[in-house]
Amino acid sequence: MELFRKEDKMSSLINRNYNLLPVINRFGIRLGFKEKTIGEVCQEKQINTDFFLAIVNTYTDDSYFPEAEFLSFSPILLIDYLKNTHKYYIQYVLPKIERLLNEVLESCTDNCSSLKMINSFYQKYKAELLLHLKLEDEKVFPYIIELYKNKKLSAEGSFIEVIENEHTNVEVKLSDLENLIIRHLSPNYDDNAMNEFLTALLQFENDLNDHARIEDHILITQVIEFEKELKK
Amino acid sequence: MKESVFIVHRSEIIRKGLSLILQEYFKMEITQLTTASDLSSFTGITNSIMILMLDAQAEINQKAIDLLKKNNEVALVAICQDEEEAHQAPVFDYQLTLYASPVQIQKLIQIIRQSGGKPKNAMVENGELTSREKEVIKLIALGLANKEIADKLFISIHTVISHRKNLTEKLGIKSISGLTVYAIMNNLLDIQDINPEELI
Ligand SMILES: [Fe+2]
Ligand SMILES: [Fe+2]
Repeated sequence: MELFRKEDKMSSLINRNYNLLPVINRFGIRLGFKEKTIGEVCQEKQINTDFFLAIVNTYTDDSYFPEAEFLSFSPILLIDYLKNTHKYYIQYVLPKIERLLNEVLESCTDNCSSLKMINSFYQKYKAELLLHLKLEDEKVFPYIIELYKNKKLSAEGSFIEVIENEHTNVEVKLSDLENLIIRHLSPNYDDNAMNEFLTALLQFENDLNDHARIEDHILITQVIEFEKELKK
Repeated sequence: MKESVFIVHRSEIIRKGLSLILQEYFKMEITQLTTASDLSSFTGITNSIMILMLDAQAEINQKAIDLLKKNNEVALVAICQDEEEAHQAPVFDYQLTLYASPVQIQKLIQIIRQSGGKPKNAMVENGELTSREKEVIKLIALGLANKEIADKLFISIHTVISHRKNLTEKLGIKSISGLTVYAIMNNLLDIQDINPEELI
């Protein structure tokens, strides 16, 4: 797929990929662009245009991941974006998914024990994910911000390496949840309710994978390099 | 899993040549045999990935191969004179012509290793669990470690690991809590047997 450039109309972004709607919101951009280009809108909102383009293009094209370019952005810029994404997950996506799951549960009339197991599994997954987001928001990101501000290693040691492992665990659980429903659960529920729930879940999975990819390959790589330099 | 490679061909040039090429790229133990009937003395091998490279024009000793398939992951590779012969070797899982480049040979071994020696038409597809796999999933759900499962079922840790791998492949479920949910949903386990707070 063709990549977005800063001369393109901001409206063409959404015309071509409506999944970008929440992504532009994370940058504080809202609809009603008129004829403005991506570059113009970014300038107006004081957003780093190259960073914006790298994010929307990564999000649109699975095979596109400009690692070198990403590594050139300041970690503070990244953290800002990542934090906004967390907020979007916690305040909007997870409650929505939960509401849709409840609708599925309510649509079940008999033999609902398996569906209840699925629900407990989801609750377990959600708890684990929230814990992970909290760890990043309250420990990892502040640690990185301090590190770049003081340019000095913290006495408490680094939080960096645990994150990658947690990503794998959380990803495995989500894919297990999907497979349990798609392959193994007998369909004692309203199909439309389930379809809405699953669609939301699969969309969330995509978003989350992109998010973890930026954390693993960009942010963590940058910080580990920086820590190494400070140790010298 | 252990891996053993057999090259069975009446031509010594081909046996030794292929063996040398393979050893240049892979650390593997290779047994060279002149005829497939000699395979009968190796039917005691168990729990291995067996790569059998056989002369496509000679008898293949189906009886020995069937015995080996019971306890091993067997990949059958035909050694063919040319492309045309390769198309006529349907009993084999993979084909190799005498004119294959080293890169092609390397690739073939990598593909076999990745598929765990399993040919494409493997039984993974139908998804039915064997009774052994059902026992393993039950013990996993009860929270037992690999070593404990091995002791309980009188099998090696290797076998436990390979059961777990197969379970994940068949069911598409990796996490312990996911497998537990599956076990309860399919009545392999009663919800009373586990502490739901802990596992789910
Ligand atoms: Fe995150
Ligand atoms: Fe994360």
